[in-house]
Parts: sequence; C-alpha cells; structure tokens
Amino acid sequence: MIEKLSLPVSVGITFDHSKRKVVPKWILWEGKLYPVEKVGLHHTYREGRTLFHVFSVASKTLFFRLVLNTDTLYWRLEEISDGMPD
Amino acid sequence: MECRTELTFNPKPSTIMHLDLNSCFATIEQQANPHLRGKPIAVAAYSTLLGCIVAPSVEAKTYGVKVGMRVKEGKFLCPSLIVLPPDPWKYRNVHLGLRKILGDYTDKFYPKSIDEFVLNLEGYPAYEKGMFNVGLKIKQRIKKEIGEWITVSIGIAPNRFLAKTAAGLHKPDGLDEINKENFKDIYASLALTGLCGIKIRNAARLNSMGIYTVLDFYEAPYWKLKSAFESILGYYWYLRLRGREVDDVIFARRSYGNSFALPKPLTSVEELSPVLSKLVEKTGKRLRRAGYKIRGVHLAISYRDGNFWHRGVTTPKVLFDSRDIYKIAFRLLNRSPYKGSVRELAVSVFNLLGEPSLQLELFDDLEKKERIVKAVDAVNERWGDFVITPARMMETKDVVIDRIAFGGVKELEEFTYR
Repeated sequence: MIEKLSLPVSVGITFDHSKRKVVPKWILWEGKLYPVEKVGLHHTYREGRTLFHVFSVASKTLFFRLVLNTDTLYWRLEEISDGMPD
Repeated sequence: MECRTELTFNPKPSTIMHLDLNSCFATIEQQANPHLRGKPIAVAAYSTLLGCIVAPSVEAKTYGVKVGMRVKEGKFLCPSLIVLPPDPWKYRNVHLGLRKILGDYTDKFYPKSIDEFVLNLEGYPAYEKGMFNVGLKIKQRIKKEIGEWITVSIGIAPNRFLAKTAAGLHKPDGLDEINKENFKDIYASLALTGLCGIKIRNAARLNSMGIYTVLDFYEAPYWKLKSAFESILGYYWYLRLRGREVDDVIFARRSYGNSFALPKPLTSVEELSPVLSKLVEKTGKRLRRAGYKIRGVHLAISYRDGNFWHRGVTTPKVLFDSRDIYKIAFRLLNRSPYKGSVRELAVSVFNLLGEPSLQLELFDDLEKKERIVKAVDAVNERWGDFVITPARMMETKDVVIDRIAFGGVKELEEFTYR
C-alpha cells in the first residue's frame, strides 16, 4: 500500500568525499528508527529557484520518499509504501 | 525491353544504435522502490479504476497488462497489480542520466522520446571498439551510474529504422544487429504488423498487392510499393528495408499545447473555464520561456459521448499574454455546438513567431503589457509555477498536473536547456 504524506522527518546521512556521494543512513519517524538498507534512486527537481533532492530509499520492510529542501535544509517524508497492492 | 535496376541491401557497416529503456516508467519506479522489484506494477495517469495505464512493468506484461488499458482491466487480468501515479521528474532525471552516458560516445545522439535514443557512431573513436562492445559498455554503465534494475534494449543497424527493429527483437535487455548478412533471416521471423509503422491499414494496403510477409515486402519491386501506398511512402519503405537512411529528419516545433483529461464530468462553460485558464497559463508560460509569440489559437474538446469538436483561429494581432490567448480560447469554447459532458480539453497555439517587433497599437500599451507579463513570469520562475495566476484559476490547484508527453521529444527541450 502506498501512502502519500508531507511530514517533517529526521534523517541521518553520510557524505563520502572519495565517491562524492551523499547517502541517507537512517530515518527517525514516529519514534521509530529505520536503518536504510538501500538507496533506490536519487533525483532532483525545482520549484521556482528552490532545488529539492529526492531520495527513494528502502528499509527492510518499508519504502520512504525523502525530500530535502536545499533552501531550508529541512527533510520531509512524502511517501511510504510496503510494496504490496492496495 | 524491360529496364530493371534493383537496389541491394546497404553494404555499409552498422553505425546506428537505437536504445530503448524497457518498460520505462515502471522500471524506474522499481529502481526507486526495491520492494516493487519482480512484482507486477503499472504506472497509470490516475490510479483510480478508470485511469489509463501508461507503463506496465515487465512482470505485469506477462499477465497481459498493456499500455492504454484501464486500471480496472489491468486489475482484472492481474489482481495483484500495484498501480502508481506518474512521477515525471523521476523519469526526466533518468533521461538526463542516459544523455550524460551516451554523450561520452558520440555527440550525434538524438532523443526520440523520454525512453528512446538514436546514436550515430560513424567516424567516432568509440566505433573502433566495435558496436557490440559499445552497446555492452553502455548497458554496464547504465546499471552502475543510474540503477542496477534499469535495462535497455539496444539495436544496431545501418539505418535508424532497422536499428529500432533490432532493439525490439529481444526485450527486455536485448542487444541485436540487423546487417547485410542476417537481414533476410530476421525479416523471415517478423510479422508484417510487427514493423514499426505498419499496422492494420498499411498491412491491408500491402495485402492488396500480394504482400503478406516482411520478406514479400522486401522483395517487392518499387512500383508495387508505390501502388500500395499511393504516395512517396512506398519509396521510403523500399529504402528503409534495404538499410538506407530516410528517417534522419528533425522536425521543427510548430506549436505549443497542453491538454487535460478531466477526472470528473464537467459540462458548463463556467465549470470548464478555470481548467481552460490553467491550460492557457501553462502553454503561455512555455511559449514565452522559449522566446516565441504567436498568431493562432486552437481548441479541441472530446466529449464523453464520443463527440469531438475542434476549431482554430488565426489572429490578426501578435499574441504573447496568456490573458489574450485565454480570451480567444474562451470564445472558441463558447462556439462548440455540443453541450455534453467533456472528457478532454486541449489548447494549442500555432503560427510561432520568434520575438517579432510588436506593432504598436492606438489604445493598448503593448510595451507596458509585455513588461508586466515578463515581471509575472519572473515571479513565477523564482517562487514556483502559478504563484501569480488569474483569479479564475482558483480551485484548480491539482488540475492539469505535470505530465510527460507520449512519443514526442519537443517537451524535453524545456528542461534539458534549463
């Protein structure tokens, strides 16, 4: 099931200077910590001049769409899914 | 005495590569969400039961789910089908990633759509490494640099048409060549309607001339094809099947337009005008951003009872302001003789003019108007689309959402040159 949201969320990331890559490592949502097992895709888009980075990531059981607003550096959780049909 | 000059298959080595991203939108969604991999999924214009499926995944296709089906038909064939709404920027980013990779092999690469590219490697150092090796390398790089779930089918041939045909031979993840050595064997394995551009009507034309297979098609003399198509198309097909190039033509943009399939039935002009306004605003913004003005507006309306009405007008004045375009589109909307429930509304503008100098008017200060329009565009560019909009567009927040055009590449110019 897919659930569309728009909620502030805590995200832990690492930056690897040798690979020049930012990788989300964990998500703290509703008091629960979800370690990121896999980053499926990273893409960007703009609204006006504001650049947003979207990380599509998966924990063991859930998928999260995390969006970083590069103006405010705030993260939002925009979607969760368990990969099952509705 | 009969004079015959038979044109043979092009002996030139294969230098054209066609690359096709398999089940594009669905594969990208599976790349983004690893929990969807290996499952039947479909990207649909709307995830409601009447939404149109625009991309089934490879797994969904095995259940018979096809592009163009309604979601409810897809769910009937495959009850476990997972339906997702489209996410255009995700697909555009992958498209840009592909462009970046392909640009390393040749600068003669042409996007044919969001998920299809044609490359010409003739004369480039990459060609010396062998077309197959380049194809394999591109596949590897796509998996490493874009995503391991992304697969592409690659076709290699002396011309674009056969390269596309070769790319369709093995899906997903194919790599095939059609050349002077194997073309007859491959033609023998294909159905006439399996050729891109030959569907039922063209097949019937060919059948009427005794052409039933692709080999018949290839072996048919030119006069037969000319009679079958009754146009220059017969000549083009004669050349295409012989590996000669006739498709390296890039058509210039001649219009801008936006359309919207209404999710709920709207009938009255009062109900339709906010949607019309948003369509015009979108078209106007794209038009001005590309540096054009126009002298023609067109409106097309599809009704839920199957009726279709459209009308275009050439305007005496050069237009650039969405408000002026709206006035004409609104007049056209009122001229429709049908008053039924509308299924789809489409606005387009034509007679594009590349920044002509404006004819000054007696009562209207056009320079002032142009400055206002530019200022509004600048605010929307800075703070996001539709920050400043006409009041009539209120309550259309989620109407006319971002979409990727099917088949065309014209919209790609708008984000690749940002």
